[in-house]
Amino acid sequence: MFRLLTRTYAVIPIFILVLAVSTAMAASPKEVAKQVIDKALSILNDPAYAGPAKKQQRHDLVKQIVDRHFDYREMAKRSLGATWNSLSNPQRDEFVRIFAELLEASYADKIDRYVKNVRIDYPGERLDGDYAEVPTVVVRPNDRIPLTYRLHNESGTWMVYDVVIEGVSLVSNYRSQFSRVISESSYAELVKRLRTKVNEQRGGA
Amino acid sequence: MRKGNLELVVGAFVLLGLGCLAYLAIHLGKMEIMGSGYPVSVTFDNISGLKMGAAVEVAGVEVGRVESIQLSPGDRASVTLRLEPGLKLHDDAIASIRTKGIIGDKFVKLSPGNSEKLIPPGGKIRDTEAAIDLEELISSYIHGKV
Repeated sequence: MFRLLTRTYAVIPIFILVLAVSTAMAASPKEVAKQVIDKALSILNDPAYAGPAKKQQRHDLVKQIVDRHFDYREMAKRSLGATWNSLSNPQRDEFVRIFAELLEASYADKIDRYVKNVRIDYPGERLDGDYAEVPTVVVRPNDRIPLTYRLHNESGTWMVYDVVIEGVSLVSNYRSQFSRVISESSYAELVKRLRTKVNEQRGGA
Repeated sequence: MRKGNLELVVGAFVLLGLGCLAYLAIHLGKMEIMGSGYPVSVTFDNISGLKMGAAVEVAGVEVGRVESIQLSPGDRASVTLRLEPGLKLHDDAIASIRTKGIIGDKFVKLSPGNSEKLIPPGGKIRDTEAAIDLEELISSYIHGKV
């Protein structure tokens, strides 16, 4: 009887631990996407950060939120295709950095423009093991833009690795463009072009 | 006896002709009875007129055909492709519905990817791009978007 009792008590902490871990895991991809988008929207619509003067501060705050759930490395790897395998580790890190800068430079201003009077619908999610798709609809007064996030489970955290806007995949778009540049010239040329593009976007913004 | 021989020869020729016809029909129609290659399933949001037997291409090279199309739960299109045995598809492959020319036939474009994991025969391509409605895009461009 006593042994049974001690065994039961020994099981309880393990049970609590399992419960704690499973609740941490329980955040579904849809909830993760909703949390990130809600937080980002609240900053973008916050009057305290409004106006062109606060633009950099506003973008930095949004980037901090988004970065935690955006897997830039996976995006860059998928976009670069076979060339990724021939790169050294420092080269890969450099490419991921430029790629993240490119995304930031291309989308920051677009997001600013679309954020007014916007509502996001979450019609559901599709789970497939460690992968998930969260379809969302960006609803504006006279516009509906379907936007799907593709996520994968990276050691317990759902991370976005692709964004599909109006049926067009970001990774697929960059993959075909990058492979064209690499086959026409070289990887070095691609990096050079991406740098120029980032500088252009920043300068023009 | 000679007449019988002649009839046999004619019969043989007729059979040979029929065999040739069957061969031509199967090969020109590209309906291989014995499906060679391996099947892979893909689910699209919208295939917009993709037909059974449509081509599957990698870099513009035909590597397989659409074997079957079904409606799957959630009103999505579940498509089975039969691909050449030698084709290696990686886990991060992307399947897109594309149109030949502006109003041509629909086909499936594959981008095989480069991750460490391969998609096994009977496996599934996870990442897809639905058909883009070009006519709708053009008309909203011409008439202006509201």
